[in-house]
Amino acid sequence: MSILFTGRATGAAAKKIGLLRRFIMFWLNHARQAVASLGELWRTPSASILTIAVLGVSLTLPATLHLLVKNMQQISSSFTQAAEISLYIRDQTPANQVQSLVTILQADRDIAQVIFVSKQQAMTEFQAISGFGAALNYLDSNPLPDLIRVLPKNTAPQAAETLLERLSAERVVEFAKLDIDWLTRLNAIVSMLQQAVAIIALLLLSAVLLIVGNTIRLSIMNKKDEIEVMKLVGATDAFIQRPFLYTGVWFGIFGGLLAFLVVELMLWWLQSAISNVTALYQSDFSLKAMSFSEFLALLLIAVLLGLAGSYLSVRRHISAIEPTGP
Amino acid sequence: MLQFDQVSKSYPGGFVALDRISFRLEKGEMAFLTGHSGAGKSTLLKLISLIERPSAGRVLINDIELSRIKRSQIPYVRRDVGIIFQNHRLLMNHTVFDNVALPLVIEGFTGKEMVKRVHAALDKVGLLDKVRCLPATLSGGEQQRVGIARAVVNKPPLLLADEPTGNLDPDLSKDTMRVFEAFNQVGVSVLVATHDLGLVARMKYRTLTLKQGRMINDGLLQYQEPV
Repeated sequence: MSILFTGRATGAAAKKIGLLRRFIMFWLNHARQAVASLGELWRTPSASILTIAVLGVSLTLPATLHLLVKNMQQISSSFTQAAEISLYIRDQTPANQVQSLVTILQADRDIAQVIFVSKQQAMTEFQAISGFGAALNYLDSNPLPDLIRVLPKNTAPQAAETLLERLSAERVVEFAKLDIDWLTRLNAIVSMLQQAVAIIALLLLSAVLLIVGNTIRLSIMNKKDEIEVMKLVGATDAFIQRPFLYTGVWFGIFGGLLAFLVVELMLWWLQSAISNVTALYQSDFSLKAMSFSEFLALLLIAVLLGLAGSYLSVRRHISAIEPTGP
Repeated sequence: MLQFDQVSKSYPGGFVALDRISFRLEKGEMAFLTGHSGAGKSTLLKLISLIERPSAGRVLINDIELSRIKRSQIPYVRRDVGIIFQNHRLLMNHTVFDNVALPLVIEGFTGKEMVKRVHAALDKVGLLDKVRCLPATLSGGEQQRVGIARAVVNKPPLLLADEPTGNLDPDLSKDTMRVFEAFNQVGVSVLVATHDLGLVARMKYRTLTLKQGRMINDGLLQYQEPV
């Protein structure tokens, strides 16, 4: 409605149209402007491709680091499965007492598996793998204790520790040992990596924000005359900034897709090398690729950054352009 | 409809562009604004289109004071005022159609209604056959007329023109003025700033003459035969 001329119907509002139709037209207009912005990018291919490439690389690094951490976690979680408590049995303990302890432990609800290794078994094993072989025959008696290996049901370090305390209180157990230090160290390393990745990702994502902001600023400067004319014929700031916001969104979409492609390519490239390494360690480790929801998250983050970058730029620069006169 | 009440405009540095200007332009009236370069014609038009704000005095359109218009409302005021620029200010990388359609797109027109109005506006200035051309391929006079079509396409009640004939030969100038007359005859208020005194005198419309920021004449200009 006109401010100055009461009764002068202005714009499309002059035509009476239904609510549904107006709703459809609203989305249709937005779709049209989105396509128009895409066309704008298409018309300056070299500049657009360069910007998209920079965005793609900036997004690839955080995505790769995320995958790295994810795979690290997978490895470390496979290690925690091995958290195992060794119970060394007092020397001279009668075999039936040891046997009854094994039975008790087997019935314990916190324990997944109990393996009994007698001192003779331990000796044979030691002879076989230590390489001392015949030298061990010179020993008067077998110095190795009986051993019970216990796999806890809950393999988290905290729970394993509690179980350890409980088991070391057993009368026949001389000494219980849980090799937990390396586990906590590994967990600490993983969480440190996670934080490092978060910081690097934050830096790179803010780089994306700045790159989009600056690109949009340049394109606003390029269109200064056009914006002045639009303002002179009555365009609101919101109308003028919309195509730039769509440009930011497109940058985000293409940058995100590019990052996804690069990551996939990199995984494909590394797959055979990694399977060589893991085969040497007799591990059935396989590289985890990006899941569909992670792909969507990457795309969403890219689009939001593109939108935010262009919004920051548009807010500052479009209102600053004022027509200077007829 | 348009009223200036003791309006002054001075720029930083002490230059006085307009000095206590007062006049009224009625609904459906056509008037010329003349004076030498630097007399304040452009400044006066800028005050109406809210490109500049007055230092003192009031500018009113339909008894609404323009100084009360907030920054966010300026676009809506400009939609009611068609402006024609001396250097026509077309978007050179868009077609004639896109240029003329711009005010309609801004107001949310789409589809057939928009095409109909653009064609009507271009028909009035005699450029219907150039719809698909780029402005750069048109002559100066044609570009000026595209600018006019853009200014009138959303049928504003007030039309401002700043030196619309500045770059045109006498015949084209006369044609352009005829176009303004035609709009005036359908009820649009028209204010044309020009220094083409001969043309102004021959047209026999009310003429406001500015000299160094002061209004020195308001009324018909006597036609003087060029020597």
